Amino acid sequence: MTVIAASEVHGLASISDKDLKTALSQWLDNPPRRIDRLILQCLLAAAPLKAKVRSHCGLYLASAHPARATMGALLEAVCVQHKQPKPFEFVNSVSNAAGFYIAQQLGIDGPNLFIGAGQQVWPQLQALANLDLRDGLIEQALLLVCDERGDFSVQAVLLEGAITGAYANSFSELSAGTEVQRIKL
Amino acid sequence: MTPVYLQRSALDCALGASLEEAASNLLAGQQPQGDVFKLHEVQEPRRYLNATGPAGSLDERLDRCLAAVLGPQPQALDDCLLIVASTSLDISELEALTRTQQGFAPGDSTSLDLLASQLCQRWGFAAAFTLNTACTSAANGLLYGARLINSDQYARALVLSFETPSAIAMQGFGALMLTSPSGQYRPFHPERDGLLLGEAYAAVLLGREAGDAPLARLLGGFSACDTSSLTTTREDGSHIHWVMRQALKSAGCSAEQIDLVKLHGTATSANDEAESNGMRLLYGEQMPALSLLKPWLGHTLGACGLSESLLLLKALQLGPLPGVSYASEALLPFSAELQRLAADSLLLANFFGFGGNNASLILQGCAQGDSA
Repeated sequence: MTVIAASEVHGLASISDKDLKTALSQWLDNPPRRIDRLILQCLLAAAPLKAKVRSHCGLYLASAHPARATMGALLEAVCVQHKQPKPFEFVNSVSNAAGFYIAQQLGIDGPNLFIGAGQQVWPQLQALANLDLRDGLIEQALLLVCDERGDFSVQAVLLEGAITGAYANSFSELSAGTEVQRIKL
Repeated sequence: MTPVYLQRSALDCALGASLEEAASNLLAGQQPQGDVFKLHEVQEPRRYLNATGPAGSLDERLDRCLAAVLGPQPQALDDCLLIVASTSLDISELEALTRTQQGFAPGDSTSLDLLASQLCQRWGFAAAFTLNTACTSAANGLLYGARLINSDQYARALVLSFETPSAIAMQGFGALMLTSPSGQYRPFHPERDGLLLGEAYAAVLLGREAGDAPLARLLGGFSACDTSSLTTTREDGSHIHWVMRQALKSAGCSAEQIDLVKLHGTATSANDEAESNGMRLLYGEQMPALSLLKPWLGHTLGACGLSESLLLLKALQLGPLPGVSYASEALLPFSAELQRLAADSLLLANFFGFGGNNASLILQGCAQGDSA
């Protein structure tokens, strides 16, 4: 297994979605519209790796929480105001929308999984990706983990080839020896 | 892929509080009526198919589902992975909280890993994670759970999948104009007008050995993302066709060997058109027997990969499958008559979802009484 590239985005809680969109437009020519904060954050970590991603790639994404603002808007609309939810907010909440937009923007056509990020998130993502790498379904695997508890961070690693030996327990362990592209907002 | 057994399973759904009851009701043609709710603002009625098992908190329902699979005195689970496959997770509880407080604060948000980690601790699983790929969640849970067993990472895997009666889901699919105003759930009918949502709690224990009451063997499958649209797949069926072919390849079998195709069949205009086209690309006009489960369960969203697979496999063990009353008008060649198929039939099962998620599984049923 080779780590091709890695990136890490750190942002303050006070960074607005508009600031995230502005930052993203520096990496993508046509960023998608009507996307929520989780999608923006994940795209911002994946976009710097675009030049090195091939189409036969799988995407393995994890987040600790759903997009809180989207969930809040949906819950307020439906349970307090007794209104129908906005369609794009609803669709972003029930689907793996962040994974979809990353795959669309980076031209990825392989498996696309989304898991809840717990304590073992990095070994779990590697284990899932390794099934597809080892079976030759994909040539590369893009792993992303998003965490927003106050300030936020998203870490991304692009791998090539099946993983042999023990799985890394953290982003820093997995990306050791690789130049990490860092974005601070 | 090396086959993995569906050793023990459980289902609580609109057709029955147990898998056996649900399968018996399917074979008897007892379609659930469900309850009526109103879409906000427009005040139009829609049907929802509630599960029939005893009421209780989400924890109680999930524990009951696990107990039904693992038995009254389960052996230690320290060799078993738990995969929680769901789109709703604890949303119904958050909805209740929001109604009580008349608002929702960011701090009220729970982690996506919460239920999986709580169940892992309570039951003593080796590890657990939550998997959410929209309506392919449970199908991916089955596929990746089986492959993790084959990779020797775990001896067993338990896939727990559920969808609760979430107001956001009911109102959200209504806002997208995907729910059926007529209340008739008719996938592939030329005048189909949308879906009915359904509640379900389903679980299956996967392992390399057959166990004492296996339902089926998972022979292969494939899952990939169609990036053409967030809410629909390519209408020409090309992505669905590719996914089905890859699934067949992984199982080492041909389309011609398949005895029965379990269609995704949401009864939405675009999905059924795309699936019809995908099926024609794979089979031309000569198709194997076809099966629809959503009219019996409702669309159980992230749980459909498990609720529909388990129901179909159990029904195959018990008797002939019901025909489709509108077969002569449908877009695909369904049978209006009872379909008599062997319990060990070879199945191709399709599951498609928002977010471009398309998945197909290849399963072979086990006759009742088959064991290790």
